[in-house]
Amino acid sequence: MKKIAFLFAILLTFNAFAQEELPNVSLKTLDGVDTTIIKEASKDNVVIVSLWATWCVPCIKELDAISEVYEEWQDETNVELLAVSVDDSRTVKRVKPLINGKGWEYDILLDTNNDLKRALGASTVPLTLLIKNGKIVYRHSGYTPGSENELYEKIQELSL
Amino acid sequence: MKKIILSLCLLSGMTTFAQDLDSGNFFGNLESNSQWLQLDDGLDFDRQAFEGAQFKANNYLLLNYNLGKFTAGVQFESYLPDAILGYAPEYDGGNGIAHYYLNYKDETLDITGGNFYDQFGSGLLLRSWEDRQLGINNSIRGVRVNWSASDNLNLTGLYGQQRNGFEYSEGVIQGLDANFELSNALNIESVDLRFGASYVSRFQPQSLENPEAPENVNAVGARLDFVKGNVYGGIEANTKSKDVLFNEGILVSNKTYDGTSMQINLGYAQKGLGINSTFRRLENWSFYADREAQGNVYNQQILNYVPALSKQQDYLLTNIYVYNAQPGLFIDDVEQRSGEVGTQTDIYYSVKKGTKLGGKYGMKIAANFSYWSGLESEYNVQNRFYEAKFIGSGPRLFRDFNVEVKKKWSKRVNSVFTLQDVVVDKGVSLGGPVGTQGDIHATVAVAEATIKMQKSQSLRVVGQHLWAKKDRQNWMALVAEYNFNSRFSMYVYDNWNYREFGYDGEEKDIHYYNIGASYTKGRVRVAGNYGRQRGGLICVGGVCRFVPESNGLSATINVAF
Repeated sequence: MKKIAFLFAILLTFNAFAQEELPNVSLKTLDGVDTTIIKEASKDNVVIVSLWATWCVPCIKELDAISEVYEEWQDETNVELLAVSVDDSRTVKRVKPLINGKGWEYDILLDTNNDLKRALGASTVPLTLLIKNGKIVYRHSGYTPGSENELYEKIQELSL
Repeated sequence: MKKIILSLCLLSGMTTFAQDLDSGNFFGNLESNSQWLQLDDGLDFDRQAFEGAQFKANNYLLLNYNLGKFTAGVQFESYLPDAILGYAPEYDGGNGIAHYYLNYKDETLDITGGNFYDQFGSGLLLRSWEDRQLGINNSIRGVRVNWSASDNLNLTGLYGQQRNGFEYSEGVIQGLDANFELSNALNIESVDLRFGASYVSRFQPQSLENPEAPENVNAVGARLDFVKGNVYGGIEANTKSKDVLFNEGILVSNKTYDGTSMQINLGYAQKGLGINSTFRRLENWSFYADREAQGNVYNQQILNYVPALSKQQDYLLTNIYVYNAQPGLFIDDVEQRSGEVGTQTDIYYSVKKGTKLGGKYGMKIAANFSYWSGLESEYNVQNRFYEAKFIGSGPRLFRDFNVEVKKKWSKRVNSVFTLQDVVVDKGVSLGGPVGTQGDIHATVAVAEATIKMQKSQSLRVVGQHLWAKKDRQNWMALVAEYNFNSRFSMYVYDNWNYREFGYDGEEKDIHYYNIGASYTKGRVRVAGNYGRQRGGLICVGGVCRFVPESNGLSATINVAF
């Protein structure tokens, strides 16, 4: 019991200075060019950063669902989606055929040795972040059908 | 406890410091995975092993602090009283700071002292990573320098020893990796070319027991990748110098053997269609930070990454007969094999909206085929000698064909149908000698429907059936999951190994029932489940380990900050 109380105490303390900054982590583009998440996600408009993998069913569902309304979202709020694949070298070769086969219009980045995933403290994917002016302003892990609507409400709030 | 208080003081000290400067930034995560095992005579359960040792917990606390170009971090881990099932025994009872680093990073330089993770190329030569589900953390402690020498050249050098539980491996690892953007450097516009080369060496002193073992084992490799319009591909080839042969800590042969690996990839992608094929051949391609660690079942001290190249399956029943890569060399009376060769192909296709097949919302198809066999070789067991053909016709270890069709019927209803036909070698799937015990043929059908209710509520139902004549014969499973909103969801499933209708043989039919819930909000995720877990080969990211069957309560807490 003491331990639990102690853990909660730690948690509460930490919440006070939760991570808002994007970590200084290198990623690769789909063509193998080095870049960083800071470079890619620091823009004036709202940027959705979605950590996903080809083997993650809820991730694919989320990106499929957003894909259907992505044009509308972009027209209305100018939002952009950066889909960061955490596939390691076993499955990373599937990323390109998969996004093409699915016809996704997202910008794709690769986090092959999970440096970004680790730096964000994400134990599971999907992890969805909203970035504005280079700061993490919203964070949600997991996907349930329909939760893209909640995400969009947040995006609209932030785009005002 | 003292340690914790100390780290807490340190923390609060750090944060005051951070606030003073108003530019530092503090992040990390806390993860706790625990199990309360129940004694269950309905399962194939080793009662003695668990009596009095029913509670197991893994706890991780990672703290990082970033100030300008510097980041420092420390990871505290505890496995008290024991690590959760399937973890290497090295972790049991462990408790302490497992991991720390200091990193400097600017536009061109990235320097780390302490523990680091890295991967060269596809990882066939070197990969250090962490996977808490699998119980792998083979970070290297030492120094790593990464330098972007120019726009076209990137170099990495590293030196250190690999983590083994809370200890460090005896072997000393050195590595060099270079990546060169050929097209940019040579101003070639018609095709995008990238070249990479790596070198990894392991130094380990000779010991009295094995004076023949080479102190240095060196591995080198090169790779070339290209993109030309819609077509892309790559080739990688590696070779490893001679080393003696160990299996699970026992010296099998004083002779020394070299190893090779090769991987070729070719793909095509356009809007609505993607195809990717991979060929890989591995001969004596086990590489560990300690020569004696070769063949250990927990993947401890593994230095490279040799995943099974087959589809990573997502359903209860498609996950029973899976492949595990077989890179190693074995020459003894029981087992002779020298590696694997095989191929896999993926196809992704979207049927357009508005067509007859596609309907109003379109339809998405994914298919995968894979075939893996052992290398055809001649063995002279007495002299511990072998000769392998490049491809040949070695024993089939795995063959899988699967198709998945996703269709949206209306704004509320989505469905997925999956069909799989799989053949797996008994040794690969159940353990024991590989390639000589015969195989298991199974066919699996899965139907999944998701129905959206009001707001964010939704119901997901999955029905599955597996047909097999051998091993444990037929299975069926039903999963129901209800999402109350985007934060809270519950599921219940029953995975029933009923063998055959009206079965009354000696073996039992078994229900693996399970119920669970999860809550996630922002940085916090809490999940728990109760029920039986099927044992067997559990794979994450193509790396597998055997896990015993169990029954009980599991809980996971994760907080990122």
